[in-house]
Formats: sequence, structure tokens, C-alpha cells
Amino acid sequence: MSYSFEQHKIVGAIEADDPFWRSLEDGVLALPRCAGCHGWTWPAHHRCGQCGSWQFDWVPVKPEGYVFSYTRTRYAFDRVLERKDDVPYVTLVVELPEAGNVRLMGVLKGDETGLAIGARVRGSIDSPSAKTKFYPALRWEIEG
Amino acid sequence: MSRMRGATAIVGIGQTPYYKRGTSSEPELKLALQAITQAADDAGIDVRDIDGFISYASERSDPAKLMPALGTRQCRFASLVWIHGGALAGTLNIAAGAILSGQAEIVAVYRSMAESSNQRLRVAVAQNDTSSQYLVNGLDSPAQILALRSQRLMEHHGVPQSALYATVAASYYHARANPRAYGRNTEMTAEIYAAARMISEPYRLYDCSRENDGAACVLVVSAERAKDMKQTPAYVLSAPMGTMEGGGALEENWRPYYATAGQRELAERMWRESGYGPKDVDVAQIYMNMNAMGIGSMVDHGFFDFEEAGDFCTFENLIAPSGKLPINTSGGDLAEGFIHGMGLIPEAVRQIRGTSVNQVPGARLSLFTGGPGDLMSSTALLGSADTL
Repeated sequence: MSYSFEQHKIVGAIEADDPFWRSLEDGVLALPRCAGCHGWTWPAHHRCGQCGSWQFDWVPVKPEGYVFSYTRTRYAFDRVLERKDDVPYVTLVVELPEAGNVRLMGVLKGDETGLAIGARVRGSIDSPSAKTKFYPALRWEIEG
Repeated sequence: MSRMRGATAIVGIGQTPYYKRGTSSEPELKLALQAITQAADDAGIDVRDIDGFISYASERSDPAKLMPALGTRQCRFASLVWIHGGALAGTLNIAAGAILSGQAEIVAVYRSMAESSNQRLRVAVAQNDTSSQYLVNGLDSPAQILALRSQRLMEHHGVPQSALYATVAASYYHARANPRAYGRNTEMTAEIYAAARMISEPYRLYDCSRENDGAACVLVVSAERAKDMKQTPAYVLSAPMGTMEGGGALEENWRPYYATAGQRELAERMWRESGYGPKDVDVAQIYMNMNAMGIGSMVDHGFFDFEEAGDFCTFENLIAPSGKLPINTSGGDLAEGFIHGMGLIPEAVRQIRGTSVNQVPGARLSLFTGGPGDLMSSTALLGSADTL
């Protein structure tokens, strides 16, 4: 099977998160855990800076966490013009307690009631589309 | 004490006018040449004798292109400091290293930008290095990414909106007296500020730096050589660059702290290396890609903590001549103009010389900070001869 994101590859930064996108496109949130010291390593990297291992296990994680911060984008920025019609939209940074409080981003879905730092959120996975630059994407909903 | 302390000084400054981004009639390289030749004239140095060139981020006016037009006799040292605007102050450390080790004698530190608006942020500022984790989730601009940090600064750490406004009011107040300032005629009141459009919450329009075309340059020489030169030297007391464990390219995973500028350890090093502390600083040019990030810088530098930010950041406290900490006395990145922060160094130097249009009387210790929230940053303290 060929993955959508692989055909629309965004280059730059660390480039060690292919397994993240692959499993997300398969419908599963998975995060890297060092095979040596079992520490969660995020963003994904090529070597564990704590123990020196080069091996990571990609572990399925429940998409549940807390809002760490957020911004409501009120302007259609150059490189994310695919979302022009969605402005204003809210992007969250979410901490995942199950995975050592690593932080993932994602756009808020549904009702904004209760949006605040510390709010509980639950994630779901959107299929690749133009808006997500043909990558799969986590979307977060506020839990009442 | 660091061997760098007071070993070098800035003896020349040069700046082109600020143009609205994408509207400079001159190409980037010519702007760089203008800034460098002006700095040489200001210093009383033959521009052909400049033998070191240092810039940062994605500067494209490299020495190889400048040399033929400057008549450079010999380029003996050339370096680009990594990352983005965070590198600003670190350029002086590289210059000091080159001079102290005998690699170069007269070093030009400069930055030039002139680009069409759609290329600027992507290529010149972000260096096309924004990761998929951001772009997939609708985040592109540094404004949006820094907004995440500032939302937390305000909502979680309790820094009030009034503190952000005070930096805007002080910047535009200072810009009025500066004929070079792009925002010198912009009226600023609390009402105008509050009514401006939102960019990416919590930022309103005036919380953001301007984007300009332009160039600026400062010339660095040894303290020994500086003594006999035309201008009052601004000595480099300390200019550390770097980041701590838990910082770097971590895609919103900075720990243990997140909402400030990532300059706490840098500032501690600077105070240690210079032998001074926040209470000694007379005037500060605080890099404000976004003003809340600059407030984070001031927290990291120990000027105040989160709880004190509202009381400290008032218009009266932030303006020259007699505020508690006059900041951005040329108008700074918000109101003078923004060429990746490079305008801050000449103004920090003018304060030591006593020639700022918003002079702090008798200023001896003049701070300027590198890009806050950058993946790696820097900060610098300049001093007059009697601070050595």
C-alpha cells in the first residue's frame, strides 16, 4: 500500500516521524519509545539522547490529553492557504499523559465551549486531504 | 570572567532606510553594501580594510559577492551564525573569537533583506524548515507558532494584556522622535491598539514586528584598536549564544519552561561573564518578533517575574529618559522597522555613545537581546569604557 503523505512529502526539520504519519494514516496514533531506556522521545528523532540507543518502538497511544496551549488563527497565512475558508480556526497543543506528557498539535473540531488551557480533549484522525497537505491529521474535540 | 569580556568593541554603525517589505528600489546586495560602507565611514575606517564578515540566519549577501564592490584587500574570516533571529547577539561572540584568535582585525556584522512578501517568511525567515507537524495542522508563520507560547504566557502565567500594550505604546512613542522609523507617524492609543485586527490570538496587529526591506551593519575591532578611533567605543562585555537541554528543535515540546524566550540560561551566563546584573542595565533593546515574546525575554533576564509583569510593564517604566527600564528607544522591531532584529545593535551602540534620539542620560550598560523563542538564541551586554 502506498501512503498519501509519502507522495506529498514535506521536507525540512528533523524528518524522523514517517512511522508516526504511516500509522496515523492506518488509523492508529503511535509514538516512539526508546527501546533502550523506554523514554518517550518526541518529536521523533534518530537517536535517544538519554541512553544512546538508535532503536525505537512505535507504541499505540490513546488520543486523550489536556490542552497545553492554543492559538486561534485569524489570518490566512501563506503556506497554509488551503485552510483559508476555515479562518478563524483553532490549533491546539495537547499533552498526552499516557505518553510521558509529550505534546502533539492538531486543529480543534466541533464546539469551542470550554476551550482553555487544561481542558480535556479527545482526538480522532482525519483522512488526508488538501487542507492537511495530504497528510493524515489528528483533530481534537473538547470533552464536556 | 570570560576572556571575551571587554576584549572587543563596536566602533562603527551603518543603516539604510527601512522600506516596506518588497518595495526597496535597491537589491538586497546593494543595501548590504550601503550599510557596510556607512559603518566604515562612521568609524573612520577604510572600507577596504574590513577583513572579516559575519551574518546570521539565511543571509544571502555573502562576502564573496560583497568583496569586489568593497575593494576588500583580504577576507580572512567569514561566518554565518546558525538558526534565525536568535543568532543576532551571537554574531558579536563569533566576531570576538575571530579577533581574539588573530583571524581578523576589522569585522563587519551585518544583515540585509529585500524580498517579495510571499518569499520572505518562508525562505528568509523560516528557511523552509517548518516541520510537517506544524503545516499539517494549519500552522505556518512564526506569528502563529509564537502565539502558542504567548497564549500560555498570558493565560497560564497571568501576564496581562496591558503589559503587551505598554511595549507597543513605548515603541511608538520612541519612534516619533526617530526620522528613520517606519512607524514614526503611526498614531497609537489604547483604543487603536485594541481595535486592530487579530492576526493569531493572542496577537493583534500591533503586537507583531514590522516586516521591512533594509540593511544594517556594525563594525567590531579589538578593544586596543578601539581606543584611538573616531567614535566612543561600545565594548562587548558578553554575548553568549546557545540553548539549554530541553530546548532546541522540539516542536512545542520545550521543557521545563515553555512560555518565555528560552534565554534564561543565556542571561545567567551573560550576567556571570559581564559581572553585572539586571538592576545595573540602563537601557535595553528587546527583540520583539512579537511583543509578548520580548516580555518573556525580560522575564528570562530577571527584570521581573510573571507576577510582576503587569506592574513593571507600564508606559512610564518603559520609556526614555527616565523609565525604570527604557526599551526599544529607536522604536525597535515594532515601530522602527524589522530586518531580522539587526536594527537593535546600532541603537544599543548609540545609547553608549550618547547619540540616541531617545537618549537615556549617562547610559553605561546597554543590553540587546536575540530573537526570543528561537530554537537557539543569544543576548548581549554592551558597556562604556568605565564599565570594563
